[in-house]
Amino acid sequence: MPGVSLRGLTLKYGDLAAVESLSLEIQPGELVALLGPSGCGKTTTLRLVAGFLTPEAGEIWVGDRCLSSATSVVPPERRRMAMIFQSYALWPHMTVAQNVAYGLRFKAAMSRSERARRVTEMLQVVQLGGYEARYPGELSGGQQQRVAVARALVVEPEILLLDEPLSNLDANLREEMRFEIRRLHEAFNITTLYVTHDQAEAMVISDRIAVLEHGQVVQSGTADEIFGRPRTRFVAEFIGRTNLLDGVAATPDTIAVGRLRLRVAGEALTPGARVTVSVRPHAIALGEPVDHPGPDVNALRGKVKRVSFLGDSVDYEIALADSDVVLRVATPVGQRRKVGEAVGLTIDPAACITLGADGA
Amino acid sequence: MGVSSGFDRSALVWVGAALALVLLMALPLGWLASLSVSGEQGVTLDHYRAVFSDVALRKAVWNTLVLAFWVGLGSVALGAPLAWLTARTDVPGRGVIRSLVLASFVTPPFLGAFAWVMLAGPNAGLLNRVWRGVTGAEDALVNIFSMPGLIFVVTIYTFPYVYIMIANTLALIASDLEEAASILGAGRLAVALTVTLPMVLPALVSGFILAVLQALALFGSPAILSLPAGFHTITTQIWSFFHFPPKTEMAAAFSIPLLLATALLLLVQKRLLGRRGYAAIGGKGGQRRAIALGPWRWPAFAACLGVMACAIFLPYGILAKAALSRAWAQPLTADNFTLANFSFTFFEYSATRDAIVNTLELGVATATIGAGLVALLSYVTSRRLVRGHQFVGFLALTPVVIPGVVLAVALFIAYTRPPLVLYGTLTILFIAYLTKEMPTGYAQSDATFRAIPPELEDAGRILGAGRLRVLRDVTAPLARSGIIAAWCFIFIGVIRELSASIILFTPSTKVMSVVIFDLKEEGQFGAIAVLGLVMLALTFATVAIVQAVLGRDVLGVRE
Repeated sequence: MPGVSLRGLTLKYGDLAAVESLSLEIQPGELVALLGPSGCGKTTTLRLVAGFLTPEAGEIWVGDRCLSSATSVVPPERRRMAMIFQSYALWPHMTVAQNVAYGLRFKAAMSRSERARRVTEMLQVVQLGGYEARYPGELSGGQQQRVAVARALVVEPEILLLDEPLSNLDANLREEMRFEIRRLHEAFNITTLYVTHDQAEAMVISDRIAVLEHGQVVQSGTADEIFGRPRTRFVAEFIGRTNLLDGVAATPDTIAVGRLRLRVAGEALTPGARVTVSVRPHAIALGEPVDHPGPDVNALRGKVKRVSFLGDSVDYEIALADSDVVLRVATPVGQRRKVGEAVGLTIDPAACITLGADGA
Repeated sequence: MGVSSGFDRSALVWVGAALALVLLMALPLGWLASLSVSGEQGVTLDHYRAVFSDVALRKAVWNTLVLAFWVGLGSVALGAPLAWLTARTDVPGRGVIRSLVLASFVTPPFLGAFAWVMLAGPNAGLLNRVWRGVTGAEDALVNIFSMPGLIFVVTIYTFPYVYIMIANTLALIASDLEEAASILGAGRLAVALTVTLPMVLPALVSGFILAVLQALALFGSPAILSLPAGFHTITTQIWSFFHFPPKTEMAAAFSIPLLLATALLLLVQKRLLGRRGYAAIGGKGGQRRAIALGPWRWPAFAACLGVMACAIFLPYGILAKAALSRAWAQPLTADNFTLANFSFTFFEYSATRDAIVNTLELGVATATIGAGLVALLSYVTSRRLVRGHQFVGFLALTPVVIPGVVLAVALFIAYTRPPLVLYGTLTILFIAYLTKEMPTGYAQSDATFRAIPPELEDAGRILGAGRLRVLRDVTAPLARSGIIAAWCFIFIGVIRELSASIILFTPSTKVMSVVIFDLKEEGQFGAIAVLGLVMLALTFATVAIVQAVLGRDVLGVRE
């Protein structure tokens, strides 16, 4: 089971760089999500890996095989990969069984009966036993999705590529299929690249997330790492909601935002430097205004500007005292504050994440 | 654009495309332009001067403009209401009316003109004889050999162009767009004037231009109706330049302005259509509810049938009658009934027999090679297999601006001289037909390939199939019906072609349309009728094939 290594990939469409010096290592058996907004280059990256596109610079390695470079590209059919497309790309003129069996036609050593056996077996795995003779047009969206999965897995690929495979499903089915794909990954353990723009999907499905922006990987890590310690403003805003505070470093671990002082986590700051801090709404606790807070927490005062009850949590907008900063705060359902009420806010410095510049 | 190792492939396609371009268009049109300005002492504008200072020729231009304008207007007047009635109201027999419009669309206009000679010729015309019989009048009721007669006959076979444009546009406008206006207080008339009309206006103008273009380029109907009436149009005038002694320079000088006018009009039409998109905004899922005509249902139906009687029932009826009669002008009694016209046409008269064979040969050859060519071109362009693929597509669509007569003049000039002397062969007709039908075939084929998502091919590639294998397993089965349709469109276009054939034929390379034209000089109406029916039968059989393979209406496909 090989891993995949992307080394300095670049591809331009005209003057626009779709992918620019993109590098990423995928460990054998790992499922990595390429996450980013539309136009970030994630689908281009996937198509580069599949061999549908040729990089202008950089290389793609699978194990010890160099599959793509600017000068030579192994065509898709000889890459031992499989791909699941956003549109599923099921052939409408073939039955479910013919669709699934197609890739096995190119395994020379396999007998006809062996092929049939594997197709039946794989359709059982995706819970489509008995649908062999149907045409794709006769299936629901979820069933088509499962056929596409079966068609990709039955060939036992070294690498599995998925291009937003769940974006055409409705919300309930999408959630169900996330777990399904994760289950299949744990069963087959195929090295997988998964393209999505849906952060929740990436978090549920993947071992590791690579966040893409402007054709580059801006941060990669586990869901915890990406959510808890975003490295740039873009990552902090793209993954989950957050409060961003632009300020100036006052001491190595304090920033000033207007008249506010905020102790922050992370590396030592250079006093005077411009700094952006991300604070997740969930990391802020609401209480009574306190006059003498302890030394280890950030304690602020504010006034409730708006309250929204969201069912499993309550969402507040709090206007901070002596400042024009408005913070979003999410609290468990419990004691409810009213609009206009004066409140105290406490924030653990460890939850105040300083961000690097990303030009955004 | 990230095309892998595409250079050799590009080179091959480009050499082929360039060669085809030179042979089909650049060489002929180049010669056309060059001959139009060549004099004994080099470049001259004498031919243009001669053409436009000649009063008779200026009259031909004027006649053409009059014809084109009124045909455009008439086509809108017939096509738009018919489209609205069938697309948006509860008029009875909508399916029948639609089929009849399609029949009018595929009827060769010159056949219609012949039929109308038999119907409304001033002396022997059926309608005029009935009129005299009923009223005892001396004079004819109508004379088809006149400008109004010509306009009428051309219009009844041209209005389907407007019909298609309007019907397709109306189909895109969801009723809720109109209801949105109603709920805000607009009455029926206000809705029609402020919402519906502005949305179909581009299609209306564009349909008008299409109809004008048809009338400009038409040869058959003017030749049949205007020459006996003693006037020329541009196309018949160009044709007469080829009467002995041929004046090809004059023909060339007369062709160039027609070509430019056509190109200009098409450009305007394309601009208009390019802005048509807004009609579809918000059309998703919108329903179209039929407007109740109430007491006007049956009168509206009768009006539709009236139009169709002029375009289909009467002409087809008189053709059938003439085919089965000894004397076409006499009532079809037992004495007058005969099958001699059929045996004469098929077995006794060599000219008609040969023409049928030539037409079928050319039809099959052009359709087969043409369908193969457009399939290749549109696959290459839709899959962006070569650099500059947009340009390939553009080239394939360019011949649409060349009227048949002009194309024929250009081919005549280019291929009556070395290095390629093709005049007098079927090959020159083949080249003319291929060029003329390329845009239709390409548009159909291109739509076919664009409807096949590239991912379907990618999915095969990644599972282990090479490009050719995917072409065989995935693309070909999915494109098959669309390519068959392209074949049929080209075939229909070829078997009815007259305006280029009339200049390029020689006695050994006559085709059906030309023979029909010749037989008229000899007064052989029975044989004409038989040939016409054969042509119609071939056309409708081919249309039926298209409808079967595409599983939908031909009218919806053309635009």
